[in-house]
Amino acid sequence: MAYVELHDINKHFKKFHASKDINISIEKGKLVALLGPSGSGKTTILRMIAGLEQPDSGEIIIDGKVVNNIPGSERGIGFVFQNYALFRYMTVYDNIAFGLRVKKVPEDKIKARVTELLSLINCEGLEKRYPSQLSGGQRQRVAFARALAPNPQILLLDEPFAAIDAKVRLELRTWLRQMITKLNITSIFVTHDQDEAIEVADEIIVTNQGKVEQSGTPQELYKNPATPFVAQFIGNSVAVENYQEFRYFNRKGDGTKAYIRPEFVSVFKKGESVQFANSAEEAVVEDIIFRGSSLEIKARLHGNLISANRSINEPEIKVGETVDLFIYRLYIVSEDEVFLATNSSLAEEDVVI
Amino acid sequence: MNLRRENKVLKYTLITISFIFLGVFLILPLIYIVITALKDGIAGYINAVSDEYAIKAALLTIEATVIAVIVNTIFGIAAAWLITKYAFKGKKVLSTFIDLPVTVSPIIAGLIYVLTFGRQSSLYPILDSYGIQIIFAVPGIVLATIFVTFPFISRELIPVLTAQGTDEEEAAAIMGAGTATIFRKVTFPHIKWALLYGIVLCTARAMGEFGAVSVLSGHLRGKTNTLPLYIELLYQGYDFTGAFAASSILVVLAIVVLILRLVIEKRGQKELDLNK
Repeated sequence: MAYVELHDINKHFKKFHASKDINISIEKGKLVALLGPSGSGKTTILRMIAGLEQPDSGEIIIDGKVVNNIPGSERGIGFVFQNYALFRYMTVYDNIAFGLRVKKVPEDKIKARVTELLSLINCEGLEKRYPSQLSGGQRQRVAFARALAPNPQILLLDEPFAAIDAKVRLELRTWLRQMITKLNITSIFVTHDQDEAIEVADEIIVTNQGKVEQSGTPQELYKNPATPFVAQFIGNSVAVENYQEFRYFNRKGDGTKAYIRPEFVSVFKKGESVQFANSAEEAVVEDIIFRGSSLEIKARLHGNLISANRSINEPEIKVGETVDLFIYRLYIVSEDEVFLATNSSLAEEDVVI
Repeated sequence: MNLRRENKVLKYTLITISFIFLGVFLILPLIYIVITALKDGIAGYINAVSDEYAIKAALLTIEATVIAVIVNTIFGIAAAWLITKYAFKGKKVLSTFIDLPVTVSPIIAGLIYVLTFGRQSSLYPILDSYGIQIIFAVPGIVLATIFVTFPFISRELIPVLTAQGTDEEEAAAIMGAGTATIFRKVTFPHIKWALLYGIVLCTARAMGEFGAVSVLSGHLRGKTNTLPLYIELLYQGYDFTGAFAASSILVVLAIVVLILRLVIEKRGQKELDLNK
């Protein structure tokens, strides 16, 4: 059952059309990511749900009730801001207690709740510190605790990991995912990082230029991009303008444009491949990027620089070397449609991603 | 090495220039004020300071200053809040107008009020029928003082509020805090030191205001004479002991304000460092 719904939402900032006919439906207890490039309108959607912005038209429905005219503070929402917006002149304890004090909860109950949350976020003993005396990760967790303190039904997070360094970010992602699952609270978070969205979210809503492009599970988005934008945005796709020149791909539609993801491509040294010996195409390696756990190989094929991943355990390939490229599949794009095309030499086999 | 030596020469030259400059233009005159004030002995000084009109002038100065500071604190907070937290048409114009008293000569500020509330003004009959007198009366002095000092507090607050942004207020609002609570608990701690600093500057300026007040006062001894005006009156009457004795009151007040300023700046800086 849909818990949070947006119906035909439009929003302008002066002349800028920030949200165009937004329709979203989010189920109770789900962890949903709003994913899109900056300026795509994802934060605007979040802020409208929180009541920080008013839509020009359309309805926002929470738990079956239209909440357009209900102030954000009465919508049962916890909000984690991008830079946390912790109250700088209050201690950690006072920060977490703020929402409860505003609601005039008795002080002994506040104490119990704050203590409970501090242990939940592993920040016991930090209650007397000021936000400036915390690390980035601790600040984020305190912001999370502060948003949760008044027991909201919905948790909204605006770029929750943007201000944290890479290593801590990975830890926090896992931590946040566990917390939200444990608390079973409907959560929506905004991100521009597809890895983050794919790893953390149950469901992803992709936004672009104020519109919702597609929503679905990470697997669905990955497997069946519904629009050219999603095909290009998810995965580190390389665009080619002349896919009809590639062998073993049948034409679909009028266009000649396609997207190829690195994981769709295998690179073989000359004579290395037995299985695809006849169907692979020759390409010249132009660049090799060391990615730590793997190599990214860039090779020129029919005038396009195609990216491919290669394990570091396989025989070494050098720049300038002529290699065999085998492309398993690609996304053909024409107008507003996307087709998944599979290398026809594999026709009999099933596609498994 | 060479560079270091050059820097040292420059450093001491600059120090010498600064001290000579301050000595000639500030310390020497201040010493002279004290010496002249005490020329007729301590008794003469006390006599001059405790003169009925001197005390009345000092009290009027304090009255005008207190009213101006209270009014400008309220206006300054309101204006700074409006300019930094809301988007509206005419914001630039408003923010420019707030600075006007700094750029306009105080004499002109005084004349503006004479024209607005004086006998030739169309407002005069209305005010007169209610028995309200503004020009050549205490209200005029207070008005002039408010006018010349009104940018001081908002100008201190605007940069602080701009730097802080609106996130914390939004966070508080989402948790259901009302405007008063948000201001008291979230915004005020941020602007506390800037506000105090603004109040100090405003007080110092209000106490010393001469130009605009001079135009509006009418110079009625014991009625509409503030300390600076009273000093001028004594000076014009060749009563140097009296003039410098009265000046010393203003100097003492100025030094108190200066010390307050130092303390506030120090404490504010400390808290700022803590919250970086």
